[in-house]
Amino acid sequence: MGVSFRSLIVAVAFAQVAAALPAAEKAKSLAPEIDRLIEAALPEFATHASSTCSDAEFLRRVTLDLTATIPSGEATRRFLADKRPSAEKRDEAIKQLLGSPAHARRMQYLLDWMLMERRTSENVASAGWQAYLRKAATENRSWDQLSREILVDGGADAKTRPRARFYLDREFDLTVVTRDVGRIFLGKDLECAQCHNHPVVEAYLQRHFHGLKAFLDRSYLFTDPKSKKKSLGEKAEGDVTFTSAFDDTKGKTDPRVLDLPEIPDPKGTSKQYVTKPGKTAVGVPKYSRRQQLGQAVTAKENRAFRLNIANRLWAAMMGRGLVEPLDLAHVANPPSHPKLLDLLGDRLHARGYDMRWLLGELARTRAYQRSSRPREESVDTARRHFAVGLLKPLSPEQYAWATMEATGFLEAVQNSTLAKLKSEADKKAKDKKANDKKKAAKDAGKAKKDAAGKKPEKSNTESSPSPAAVEAALSKAVDGHIKTFVTQFAADGGQSTSFSATAPQALFLVNGQLLREWLKPTKTNLTGRLAKLDDSAAIAEELYIVVLNRLPTASERSEVSEYLKKVTKRTDAVTELTWALLLSAEFRFNH
Amino acid sequence: MQRDHGCHRIDHALTRRGFMATGAAAGVAGLTTPAVSEQLEKKQKRVLQVYLQGGVSQLESWDPKPGTLYGGPFRAIPTSVPGMHICELLPHTAQRMHLLSIVRGINLKTNSHHDGRLFMEMGRRSGRFPYVGSVAAKYLMPDNAPLPGYLHVTTRGLTDYTNAFLDARYGQLKLAGPKVPANLVRPKTVTADAAVRSRNLLKRLNQRFSGRGGQKTFTDSYNASFDMAEKLMARRDLFEGEPSGKDLDRYGRHPFGRNCLLARTLLENGGTVVKVTHHGYDTHAENFNFHLEQLGEFDKTFCMLLDDLHTSGMLESTLVMIYSEFGRTPKINVRYGRDHWGTAWSIALGGQGIVPGAIVGATNKQGTAVSEREVDGGHLFHTYFRALGIDSTAYHTLDGRTVPIGDPAKQPIQELLA
Repeated sequence: MGVSFRSLIVAVAFAQVAAALPAAEKAKSLAPEIDRLIEAALPEFATHASSTCSDAEFLRRVTLDLTATIPSGEATRRFLADKRPSAEKRDEAIKQLLGSPAHARRMQYLLDWMLMERRTSENVASAGWQAYLRKAATENRSWDQLSREILVDGGADAKTRPRARFYLDREFDLTVVTRDVGRIFLGKDLECAQCHNHPVVEAYLQRHFHGLKAFLDRSYLFTDPKSKKKSLGEKAEGDVTFTSAFDDTKGKTDPRVLDLPEIPDPKGTSKQYVTKPGKTAVGVPKYSRRQQLGQAVTAKENRAFRLNIANRLWAAMMGRGLVEPLDLAHVANPPSHPKLLDLLGDRLHARGYDMRWLLGELARTRAYQRSSRPREESVDTARRHFAVGLLKPLSPEQYAWATMEATGFLEAVQNSTLAKLKSEADKKAKDKKANDKKKAAKDAGKAKKDAAGKKPEKSNTESSPSPAAVEAALSKAVDGHIKTFVTQFAADGGQSTSFSATAPQALFLVNGQLLREWLKPTKTNLTGRLAKLDDSAAIAEELYIVVLNRLPTASERSEVSEYLKKVTKRTDAVTELTWALLLSAEFRFNH
Repeated sequence: MQRDHGCHRIDHALTRRGFMATGAAAGVAGLTTPAVSEQLEKKQKRVLQVYLQGGVSQLESWDPKPGTLYGGPFRAIPTSVPGMHICELLPHTAQRMHLLSIVRGINLKTNSHHDGRLFMEMGRRSGRFPYVGSVAAKYLMPDNAPLPGYLHVTTRGLTDYTNAFLDARYGQLKLAGPKVPANLVRPKTVTADAAVRSRNLLKRLNQRFSGRGGQKTFTDSYNASFDMAEKLMARRDLFEGEPSGKDLDRYGRHPFGRNCLLARTLLENGGTVVKVTHHGYDTHAENFNFHLEQLGEFDKTFCMLLDDLHTSGMLESTLVMIYSEFGRTPKINVRYGRDHWGTAWSIALGGQGIVPGAIVGATNKQGTAVSEREVDGGHLFHTYFRALGIDSTAYHTLDGRTVPIGDPAKQPIQELLA
């Protein structure tokens, strides 16, 4: 008794200290704790565990995961030549990648896929939505804030309309949006039909589903009669009723999140409007239940919210969720590592839902940095316990960027984008100068005395565009190609980390015009550069460094050399070699 | 929307005669010696799926209730099976019901397109399981099959994970109607020699990568996609050229007619599972006009395909399924439509392993509930595979685990099994 009482006091004291010293908590690295839990979950973990991946594997892996593309040949060479201890340079690479504008790009894609699941743009322009996500990712906006924006906004205000895409491009079908709020923000498919075989679980699910629905069911899709634009209106009355799956009794529910208490409407708000719904007016109630949804879902009492996002970020980095499929968290499908999921969720919450921080911590773990070469024949156990690195198929966006990077097509676009930005900036500066002169002359004419001793404001003609601006312009320039890859390679994967390749995809890679275009030797692209090299060893090295981000093995060097001997026309030979490496499984997966 | 009643007198007569002849042939086949039937046994089994997307109305097709509260305007007509009546919108099919059987007591307990489709395809109410077509491809496709195992001719549709945990080579390959699939032709800049040698290099690279271990299902799937692509490239001819005028006259010049002609070509050339989707049965408004048009197109075209399979002797080794994700509500809504209805509806089956001319199950007088022999997607799933000679209570063996082929809680519909 005494011991447990003391430990209780210690625990309370500790909790107080932790609360009082959030800075200390913040500074503590999460990575070692993650590894401790991962390694404790499997007896004799070390006998199953693969060794640490090589520096080359790490750089490719982490660059893809954090910036949606592969490292350039130059970056690869620099990293491999860096003589510092591996851990030190890896840490630095993580920091540098997370701070780069390309990281915002990766987060934009990840959030887009997660929230919209490749739905087509119906009511909200895709460009505005992408720009909204990009801006949020650039600012590293916290997940709870982002969630509130998305769950509350009805799209009536043009300035924030992109936020409403989650609802509007689901046509605000009440069943669909209720289900997707559950799946995407809470990790729970409350319409999970499998559970309907289980009466107790079914009753739970039904209550949960209708509780969430009650936040939304006063909202409705409003079409502006003039602009034909759709947005959400909301009524100030109406309740959700349902028939119990248990005993056919009728149930009625106020809005509630899972098992948290119901949230009754404040007294006297029924039928009270800021704007009454009408044929030409979108309804705005004094008390909005949809507004409450944003608060209630992200409230600290709702643990499902933090566990869901922790699980999704884990899956993005590790190749498999702790709960898998990602939207099927329920009693019959528990997390593989419950303590770990709690830890990730709680720490992410304590850090104010800083997703960038969590990605960095995950990248630093031994679990993340393990080789994908299994140690044993049967890899199932190792795989389930993250004792071996998992293959992650490149997302369509990663695949597009990586292919453009490897072929050297991207460099050409980069150069022309930079030149364009610069000439635009120059033109602007010139115009400004001219304007300033005019203005100065005018001012001078008006008030000579005032102008005396004052120079016209100096315009900064030397200003080069910011890295973020360059990145944004570049993304825009290649957007068409990204879309092509999305059309070709996006699959209805649901919220899982599975992979399936199709014949039309293979045909696109083998016979498609786009790839062939990028492989055609030019002055600056990879095949063009390779064709100019004489030495077969140099060709092999450049090829492997640029496409696969590693040095070739001895047998790969001789394979390249044989190929060059067999195919005498150099441009043909290097094009075929590059093609084969680009289509290789090693390129198709993040490994 | 085009109307094609397609019932010109001369066509009709010809079809009738063709049908009489093939009927006779089938009679002879029934009397063959054991040795011959053993050979027939060994013939490759196939599946033809005709998917009526959106949910065909059972009341306007396989389970008419004329003169009842929800019966609608159409009559029931007698069929080639004494005592069996189907809706008058299917006059050609009515004459061939001795080749088909009807399951009238399906209750899926869902009214969602998505869930209904998955239940009908996976034989499971939920979870991730391979579609009928993928499972059939896995167990029926010969190693040296000249075409991908599961081909879907459709004018639109989403990408589904049809193979679930099975190898991607059993996944559905979508063909957008009778045209050469995109990127099927080698670029002019690549010589035949270059194509072969670079492909060989790619094979070596991929073997090495697979050889280092890891997720075999991922790398296998990736490698298999190139093999399938090559098979398709080798049979470009199947997608080229215009069908004969005679065939177009019989099948119809509309997309569904052409898609069914392609389905016949694919089955005749080594396709294992061929699915054709006929779109547009989600008739929330104007149910009767739409069914008149839709089934007018389906009826004759499907019967021409059925006749051709029958004439060539392929029907007895081909399981034929005509199905949807659900049926339509008995209750007629204010827009003269019928809504989603998984509660009491029908499908038709025939060919390989199916007793012909039977009706299994029934609905009540007004069609509002199943009154006899209720079944769901799970029972149907077992039935298809038993008809194909595959033990659906056995397990798929995957690396490291086993999964029952059919839902262990469900059984086949024995009455339908030949």
